[in-house]
Amino acid sequence: MLEIADLAIDYPEFSAHYDLLVPKGALCALIGPSGGGKTTLLHAVAGFGRPPRGTLRFEGVDLTRLKPAERPLSILFQEHNLFPHLTAAQNVGLGLDPGLRLAAAQRAAVDAALARVGLAGLAERLPAQLSGGQRQRVALARALVRNRPLILLDEPFGGLDPGLRLEMIGLVDQLRRERRLTVLMSIHTPEDAADVADLMAFVAEGKVIATDTPAKLLAGARHPALDRYFRRAPLGA
Amino acid sequence: MVPGLLALALVLGVVAAALAGLALAAGPSLPVVPWGYVGGVVAFSLWQALVSTILSLALGAGLALALARRTRFAGRTLLIAAMNLATVLPAIVVVFGVVTVFGRAGWLGEGMRALGFDMGSWLYGLPGILIAHVFFNAPLAARVFLAGLAAVPAEHWRLAAQLGMGPLAVFRFIDRPVLLREAPGLAGLVFLLCFTSFAVVLALGGGPRAATLEVSIYEALRFDVDFGRAGVLAALQIVLGLVLVLPILRLGTRAAEAAATGFVEARPDVEAVLPKVLDALVLALGTGLVLPPLAAVALSGARALATLAQPEVLASLATSVVVAIPAGALSVALALAFAGLTRRLRIARARPRAADAVSLAGLVILVMPPFTLAAGLFVVLRLVADPFALGLPLLALVNALMALPLVLRQVEPPLMLSAERYGHLAESLGIVGTDRLRLVDAPLLRRPVIVAFAAATALSLGDLGVAAFFGSGEFVTLPVLLHQRLGAYRMDEAASVALLLALLAFAFFILAQHFSGDGRAGDR
Repeated sequence: MLEIADLAIDYPEFSAHYDLLVPKGALCALIGPSGGGKTTLLHAVAGFGRPPRGTLRFEGVDLTRLKPAERPLSILFQEHNLFPHLTAAQNVGLGLDPGLRLAAAQRAAVDAALARVGLAGLAERLPAQLSGGQRQRVALARALVRNRPLILLDEPFGGLDPGLRLEMIGLVDQLRRERRLTVLMSIHTPEDAADVADLMAFVAEGKVIATDTPAKLLAGARHPALDRYFRRAPLGA
Repeated sequence: MVPGLLALALVLGVVAAALAGLALAAGPSLPVVPWGYVGGVVAFSLWQALVSTILSLALGAGLALALARRTRFAGRTLLIAAMNLATVLPAIVVVFGVVTVFGRAGWLGEGMRALGFDMGSWLYGLPGILIAHVFFNAPLAARVFLAGLAAVPAEHWRLAAQLGMGPLAVFRFIDRPVLLREAPGLAGLVFLLCFTSFAVVLALGGGPRAATLEVSIYEALRFDVDFGRAGVLAALQIVLGLVLVLPILRLGTRAAEAAATGFVEARPDVEAVLPKVLDALVLALGTGLVLPPLAAVALSGARALATLAQPEVLASLATSVVVAIPAGALSVALALAFAGLTRRLRIARARPRAADAVSLAGLVILVMPPFTLAAGLFVVLRLVADPFALGLPLLALVNALMALPLVLRQVEPPLMLSAERYGHLAESLGIVGTDRLRLVDAPLLRRPVIVAFAAATALSLGDLGVAAFFGSGEFVTLPVLLHQRLGAYRMDEAASVALLLALLAFAFFILAQHFSGDGRAGDR
């Protein structure tokens, strides 16, 4: 269980206050307008930026005292997930040793992870020689070898075209079922996540405004910000 | 964090020790200051810097516009190469070139005499100082302006053509905003360079009526051994320099980019008559100013090549190299430590004020008169050791500090870029310390570090200032040797040394150009 309660972050130009519960093994999609605080929430969980006040626990462990690398999670960004001068295998290998001093067994683990995300044979490619989707697969492979129980994804597939986006979300879904991972993913295109997400949270104005199953949130939940986001007519109008 | 704090402590410690040393040497009583003389020096420093700046920016803007409009004419490549070379030539070599061309016994003087006129020693004083300053700084300004013009989007030129803009409208709506945007930072930089000018003023100035503060400090220390007066002059220079530098730092001067060689989109004002006439005049003036001194260095030097084999030249070359290479390396090391600290403060700790303060400490050196540093350290070291035995390391240290602002400008941006792109990733993967330097920063830093090292080493190689202070003693660097020979009117022997220095500077420039070509090459 990922517990976020009364979690407050103050920046000079933006302040946020979050409450959210994600059960273990669940996939929670974060949706909402740009600038509404999705990334700030993910960064707070990952340990970037100003330290927040309030409760942030995973499986009962207080995360706020841990450095980013010590937290039981891996994070994928929309871009710059890979170092451009390192091969796919080296980029994955960084997940096992941040100095890239790898034993033979670890190299085998890297190859296995690359194979699992469908990149067998591309281990020696540089990021520039891979497509956008393949680059994100490398980053997923790195998350697999790090073997942390929580995965954060910050608009990871926003740069991909629709078919590929669905395919990648499907891959994330498979992986989390295989390994019982908890996933928190922000996404611009809520309908893409509707079939796979267990939970959907609407984040705007620095708050989690509504949390529900995707079906209910997309159809039923009513809130002015939500209506604006989906361009729905408000109730009673 | 630790290396950064050590570097900060070293820089501030050296500055503080130097000031303390100077105060110590001046003694307890307040120095007797000839205020009339000091006022004259301050006035001249400011006046020549102001005129140099105006002339340099005016000619630089004219050259940039002419080169932007005339993308193909015979000698364009040669002129651009000469302008690049002019910006990196050691000041004392420029002095040699200017004297050889414009001096009484030079090409111009001899030519006029053949026609029956005697020019006299018109060059010494303000005219020579202005010519030398414009020689360096007009090409520098032209490069910055040209880079700005080259960055104008092609759509603007298409739009100007579409709207039927004449040459005046093109200037008003496209060129002028670019020039005005670049001018303040550039003017500040050129003014500061001229205000603190040493070698040019020492060699071409004459007496108290044509001396900068920098030269007066040198004279006070070297000839009168008057530490009190030197201290007052140094304080004036630091205060005036800070007043000048702080606004420049706010403006954030851009490093001069390599001049673009071609413009993709044709400008609509190339066919008009007025620009054609103006451009021809400006190009003739620029060529007449920049090419002859370079040609003089090359030709006179080539004729006198035989004098290079003298033992004193070889000894000076060795001394220069032994000083310059460690100075360049130390400067880069200090800058990396500094920039690492400011980056950490700015990003990881979210303390931008503290980061700015550290950056500023690295740049204070810009206004610190090098002799003040050298003399102060000399006095302090005298208490614990024989300062002359420490001459070479001391010279390397002061040169490294002098090059620090230049080097910081090279290495700070890529370090920040690396942190912005990969900082979170590196943190989340736990890549820290040397692993971070090796795996994350190095690929973005490699080129800027080489460029910075080449620039710092070249600066140190060509520096007359601090070396002249220790000058006549045990060791003589190439610029000092050149200055001595110029002073003794041994022009042939001076010529070969000038050429050698020019070639060294050029070699480092080529090295830097080679690596700065496309800084993003490691980034795809």
